[in-house]
Amino acid sequence: MSEFFSIFQYQFFQHALAAAVLTSVIAAMVGTYIVSRKIVFIGGGITHASFGGIGLAYYMGLNPFAGAAVFGILTALGIEWISDKGKVREDSAIAILWSLGMALGIIFVFMTPGYTPNLMSFLFGNILTVSLTDIRVLLAYAILLIILFGIFYRPILYTAFDPEFARTKGIPVARYRYMMSVVMALAIVLSIRTVGIILVLSMFTIPQITAMLFTRNFSLVMPLAALWGVIGSIAGILMAYVLDIPTSAAIIFFLTMQFLILKGILLIRNHILRK
Amino acid sequence: MKKPLVHLESASTGYHADTVLRDVDFSVYPEDFIGIIGPNGGGKTTMIKLILGLQPLFSGKLHFPAGRPRMGYLPQASQVDRSFPITVKELVSSGMKTRKAWVPFLSASQKSRLASMLGEAGLSGYAGKPIGELSGGQLQKALLCRALIDEPQLLILDEPNTHVDKQFEQELYQWLQELNKSMAILLVSHDIGTISPIIKSIACVNETLHYHPSNQLSEEVLKVYNCPVDVIAHGPVPHRVLKSHDHE
Repeated sequence: MSEFFSIFQYQFFQHALAAAVLTSVIAAMVGTYIVSRKIVFIGGGITHASFGGIGLAYYMGLNPFAGAAVFGILTALGIEWISDKGKVREDSAIAILWSLGMALGIIFVFMTPGYTPNLMSFLFGNILTVSLTDIRVLLAYAILLIILFGIFYRPILYTAFDPEFARTKGIPVARYRYMMSVVMALAIVLSIRTVGIILVLSMFTIPQITAMLFTRNFSLVMPLAALWGVIGSIAGILMAYVLDIPTSAAIIFFLTMQFLILKGILLIRNHILRK
Repeated sequence: MKKPLVHLESASTGYHADTVLRDVDFSVYPEDFIGIIGPNGGGKTTMIKLILGLQPLFSGKLHFPAGRPRMGYLPQASQVDRSFPITVKELVSSGMKTRKAWVPFLSASQKSRLASMLGEAGLSGYAGKPIGELSGGQLQKALLCRALIDEPQLLILDEPNTHVDKQFEQELYQWLQELNKSMAILLVSHDIGTISPIIKSIACVNETLHYHPSNQLSEEVLKVYNCPVDVIAHGPVPHRVLKSHDHE
């Protein structure tokens, strides 16, 4: 048992736990917006398109996460613009940007001379290598989001729920939607460090749908999703350590199990109450 | 004579390059209660969206001779996402126009207005509940509260009688007649029969607009405007609706 707890002494493990908590808080706020607006597919498009930025940044010798952020933001703004103008089918445009981003990422990584970066760490994340700087960035972004949602809660909610009606009330809907596109893109890119491109979307959806089992109030879904996210990701990290399996996969597995178990409990409870 | 709240002059609008409505001349006065009828796809919703500023004006003019009026809008029920995690209180308060929409909390007067609005609609007990828990009639009431909370001068309702029972429909019409004492109302409906007893005049919209300054719309009158009526029955109540037709 003492051997189990000894892991908490290591700095890399403390960093991993801090990153899990902060990523869960960020994903809870932004993911509630994504799930409520039913734009999970857009989140997928942003996530995968950002891989193109990672590849290009590697090719040019720049910070790969800066490249991912630029590609992610441009993709998010592009999708919102397409959705706003309605000239191209939104789902088709997302699918194009999704696959184009992945293709560009692979091409640029392939073209990068000499050292070939470890693609697996971008695709599946590696929370155990998170640095103190990464944690500071995650913390700053989490604080920024709390302030943003605190101040702009009402227009964010109103423009997400019924943008047409919000326009009739003089709310600058496009401005808020574009702002949220940038917020989404940055949140997703920052979370790639923790769980990777393939699995990051789960952090933005599973804790939220778990929270929505208990409440349909936007302002309560966010903290509850953060709670389920924190519990699921810490449990996942510990499970990964005990079973010696990849951490990001363990986190997603635990988040899913958490949802299924709670859903099952609620179904049984409702069944008993109906009798 | 009173100035109209809204005045459309040879107005045309549509989507992308397609013109859906053309050469519309139409005025709404403060005491009006106008039923907007027409076949599906004829441009009824497009016209009210033009007035609300949600549609671009392709040509012609849209005036507000007495300044832009406060408008309340009740969209079609199908436009409302009932699974969205928003409470009744939040839904209704979203109808409050404020220059400081970003201020996170409602003022004391806004809270009191919200409470009295919910009380009038019999929704006080549902204030903190998500909209997904409301019945069809209760949701329409909440949406009507959202449209009314800003004390509009012009209330625009798009098919408010869909997905509601007959009892609520009657309640809604009584409410609207009472509201018409203090505001103009535009009521979009595909069912002429049920709205004709409460409205004061009719606008038939089918690619363009024909105004009938009466709530009586006989088949003969409609034929003059080339708007044939069909009696259809889905469920127990027969409806008089406009047939799909052209005005060529």
